[in-house]
Amino acid sequence: MGSNEHTTVQTPSTEPSSSSEFTTFMRAYQDMVFSTAARLAGNDVQAQDIAQDVFIKAYENFEHLRMSPAAGGWLKTVATNLSLNYLTRYRKRWRFFSEQSSVPEVPVPDESVEDLGANERRALIEEALRRLPPQQRVPLVLYHFEDYSYQQIAQRLEVSLAKVKTDIARGRAALLPVLKSQGIEGAGE
Amino acid sequence: MSDALETEVSRALREVPLRRAPSSLESRVIAEIIRREALPWWRQSFTRWPRPARAVFAVACGSLAAALLMASWPFAPGGALAGAGARSAGLWLPWARSALTLVDVARELDAALVRAIPLDWLYGVLAAGTLLYAALFGLGAAAYRTLYLNLSSAGDSRS
Repeated sequence: MGSNEHTTVQTPSTEPSSSSEFTTFMRAYQDMVFSTAARLAGNDVQAQDIAQDVFIKAYENFEHLRMSPAAGGWLKTVATNLSLNYLTRYRKRWRFFSEQSSVPEVPVPDESVEDLGANERRALIEEALRRLPPQQRVPLVLYHFEDYSYQQIAQRLEVSLAKVKTDIARGRAALLPVLKSQGIEGAGE
Repeated sequence: MSDALETEVSRALREVPLRRAPSSLESRVIAEIIRREALPWWRQSFTRWPRPARAVFAVACGSLAAALLMASWPFAPGGALAGAGARSAGLWLPWARSALTLVDVARELDAALVRAIPLDWLYGVLAAGTLLYAALFGLGAAAYRTLYLNLSSAGDSRS
């Protein structure tokens, strides 16, 4: 679990008494919450808004969460739900305003990926994920990062099981150039 | 695509570490919490209202809904209790009859106004409104696609 020890917050005098405990709690989980939201929403600005809402909800339930071993799971579930709600809410509007005839190509670096550092490789995959259209990125992230089954994804997104499988397969195919460049065995099959 | 590939893709994606949250996130959350705490109770979420206030509000809403139902449904003209029922109800709900009279007057006034305006005018206004709405929506969509999306795409290609 990542932590952001570099962050400092000025504590105002009006802050609630439990806020330092809550701040510690937030520092322990904010990377996970932000990553979940950013991967699903595909937009860092929106991911920040979602992460903020998640922690506001966590603050409202902090009495139950502060000692709960399931706090991480609770936060992840809320982050996933809020991200999906955001995507669902704007799905029709987004389709109308920004339907693109072609999927943007996932950039593949010219240099050998073995020459890249871990950060660059991570950034490459994150960027490739971000460039996937939402209908491929969301089921792919739910399947590979959030451990949802195909059936659960179909139910959650209210689409058919066949569509989920097709979209995930297309998402993987779109990621293929990046994964191949990382030397993943079988990526060329 | 083979199962082996699925496993490999899964492994590759799981190896991607968590992204670091922006340093501003923590201060944003704390600022929002303080802002919400500073709001008077009646402007906060209903679940955070004091219990007596919630009870009073629920009773008031229930009473209002019941009163409106009683006033509008059974005693309305054509309703099940119109006529004799309404007259007897008027003994214990005199204000209901006054309210009904008021509703009738408003309805008649409305009908008279509609009758006074030629039907063609109404259709014309409706068509013009629909046309203007569609034009505005189309202009908004075109502007969004042309100005915002193109700029975003340009930003993406630069990054």
